[in-house]
Amino acid sequence: MNEITSRHLIDIVKYRIVWLCISAILLLPGVIALVYSTIHNENHIPLKVGIDYTGGTILQYGVNKNVTNADMSKTRTDLQNIGIENPSIQILHANAESSKNSDLKSIISIKTKFIGEDKDTVNKITETLSKDYTNPDLISVSSVGPTLGRELFKNSLLALSLAFLGIIAYLSFRFKFDYALAAILGIAHDVLFVVGIFSLLGLLYNVQIDGLFITAILTVVGFSVHDTIVVFDRIRENLRYYSKKMSFGEIVNASVNQTLARSINTSLTTIITLAALYFFGGVTTKDFVLAMLIGIAIGTYSSIFFCSVLVDIWEDHKNNKKAAATAA
Amino acid sequence: MKNKIIMFWAIVLIVIASIVTIFVKPTKLGLDLVGGSRLVLEAETTKSVPVITQEVMDRLQFAIENRVNKLGVAETVVQQTGEKRLLVEIPNVTDLKEAKAFLGETAQLEFKKEAIGPDGIQTWVETGLTGQDLAKSTLTTDAAGHWVVSLEFKSEGSKKFAELTKELVNKPMAIFFNGDLVSAPNVNEPIYGGKAQISGGDSGFAYEEAERMVNLLNAGALPVPAKIVEENTVGPTLGADSIAKSKVAGIIGLGLVMLFMIAYYRLPGLIADVALIIYSLMLFALFKAIPVTLTLAGIAGFILSIGMAVDANILIFERTKEELRAGRNLFTAINSGFDRAFTSIFDSNMTTIITCVILYMLGTSIVKGFALTLALGVIVSMFSAITITKNFMHLIFGTGELKYPALFGLRKDEIGKGFEATETKRENARFGILD
Repeated sequence: MNEITSRHLIDIVKYRIVWLCISAILLLPGVIALVYSTIHNENHIPLKVGIDYTGGTILQYGVNKNVTNADMSKTRTDLQNIGIENPSIQILHANAESSKNSDLKSIISIKTKFIGEDKDTVNKITETLSKDYTNPDLISVSSVGPTLGRELFKNSLLALSLAFLGIIAYLSFRFKFDYALAAILGIAHDVLFVVGIFSLLGLLYNVQIDGLFITAILTVVGFSVHDTIVVFDRIRENLRYYSKKMSFGEIVNASVNQTLARSINTSLTTIITLAALYFFGGVTTKDFVLAMLIGIAIGTYSSIFFCSVLVDIWEDHKNNKKAAATAA
Repeated sequence: MKNKIIMFWAIVLIVIASIVTIFVKPTKLGLDLVGGSRLVLEAETTKSVPVITQEVMDRLQFAIENRVNKLGVAETVVQQTGEKRLLVEIPNVTDLKEAKAFLGETAQLEFKKEAIGPDGIQTWVETGLTGQDLAKSTLTTDAAGHWVVSLEFKSEGSKKFAELTKELVNKPMAIFFNGDLVSAPNVNEPIYGGKAQISGGDSGFAYEEAERMVNLLNAGALPVPAKIVEENTVGPTLGADSIAKSKVAGIIGLGLVMLFMIAYYRLPGLIADVALIIYSLMLFALFKAIPVTLTLAGIAGFILSIGMAVDANILIFERTKEELRAGRNLFTAINSGFDRAFTSIFDSNMTTIITCVILYMLGTSIVKGFALTLALGVIVSMFSAITITKNFMHLIFGTGELKYPALFGLRKDEIGKGFEATETKRENARFGILD
């Protein structure tokens, strides 16, 4: 352990401006999408929100053919003709090669405003689809009443804030406050990235967020701290042994490089399982898995290149202040 | 060493117990996997019931339970959530739309009499006789062979009915069901004995209509109307598809993680893989034993936890390799690997558990499923990745000498200084002895 400065792959401290710029570049498209959506979306919500939060009904029909865009727009017109206002239609490809169930080639997902007990509307929609496709099978119905939607939205925000507070409390208890703050800024970095990407996906592919999205964000929050803790633990340990021999920057550099393999590998195994879920798992949880996948990847980046840089900058700032104080 | 062997057999016993549990106990699958319907009903106030009290909710729950049972489906759930909501779960239901309509109807039967309002318009007014006075109702035919609904009143109801019919001789008595006028026959003579029949007015009842009315009347009226505020229905096709796909994803995910661990960490990686398989068995057995209802999101949590379970091993092995490179002997390296990685493992798992607890408290049932499986996974992984792996490492590397550094994925020259570094007495006391 005498030569902890040897074998450095990445110089965190020297290029800290570069790493911060890369973070900014990574975050930029998402932030632009968020701002753009906030201005242009109805209700000025930065993300496309699903029925969990707005209320509404989603009917999903399984059909035995690969649905094309032309089919989709015909269905949309047909539905509008029977008086369904602004039906939002999405096609989920059920990936028939891998599943034995050949009846389920595509899933047509139709979002309308809330249909409670009114079964006539559902019957009308089913009839319309029967004209366009052979034997559409109503495979799922999800409905959320508008009042309940608002309640779920409030609960989600509450969950998110509580999770933040819980983690801040835990980190402040385990680390010094400035480390905890850096970890939290790291979380904010990761959450902003995922939310930004989903805002972008909302604009481009009409991807909507639901209750599971918040769950994904919270899981990312937990995991993002995970990687950061490993790096910070090492900084703390190295500080104990080397604080007299080495500068703070050198210690940060050494710590990040020592933990590099484990930071990447722990994320990699998680990313492997998430990728398996994304490519081979159930259709209905795809967006949920994607959010976690993106979040865990960015979480690894931020723990190496963002949080440690922040800690180093903060330490410099403290030293400068101290120096200024002694000079004066 | 003796302790290590006892521990080893304890682990073997746990594995056997887990496998037995997996074979004996059934898996509880959520409605999104077996197909079925999950509804949230919300009680609404009426003029006669302006406040929803707990007593009203109990009566509502009882009435809804009765109706759900009439559907003849096993394993239905009716439970109160929050102040004025009921959660209803109906698995394997075939005609869902019918079930839904059946639940929401208040099934309020009312007998009304004619009255002339101040403006001279004929209206129907309440008489105090309602479906609550009924003892039971049956489906029969009248002399002409039309379907009729036969009513039998309770003793109190019989008296009320007799008085009402006495009052209304030669006048019409209207029968309202769910606020709709079903028929308004003229009363010819007072009816004693508490029995009556409802015919479907001029057009008569269709069989289905009469049967439905009888079922609803027997199941009891709802004290207040309940409307559906949330619905999640999944047909059996989508459920089966989800199960098949989750299995494939789980096996591929597990396989790739295991390959990665062997490729990168060699023999310790293989040991971690064995621990990972034990982890999967234990966790699955635990899900069956508790039992945890597995939903699609829950399975996603399970599969995700496989990727996270080896994290502890990665932290430990990286540390061990580092100690070996620094020239520690094998025991010290292994033990300090476990010891020094522990704080990081504990801290990071705590943050995951904190988020899971919050999700479980505030989430919807889908979210709860995910949070529960992930949290259980994290807890079980602490045991498998630390205790089990440590035990196996000790038993396998019990000879104490690392003849082949390649077993750890290290080159010989990387640990060239190996066995040269002498540990301090304190370190030896802490890490160097195989207890």
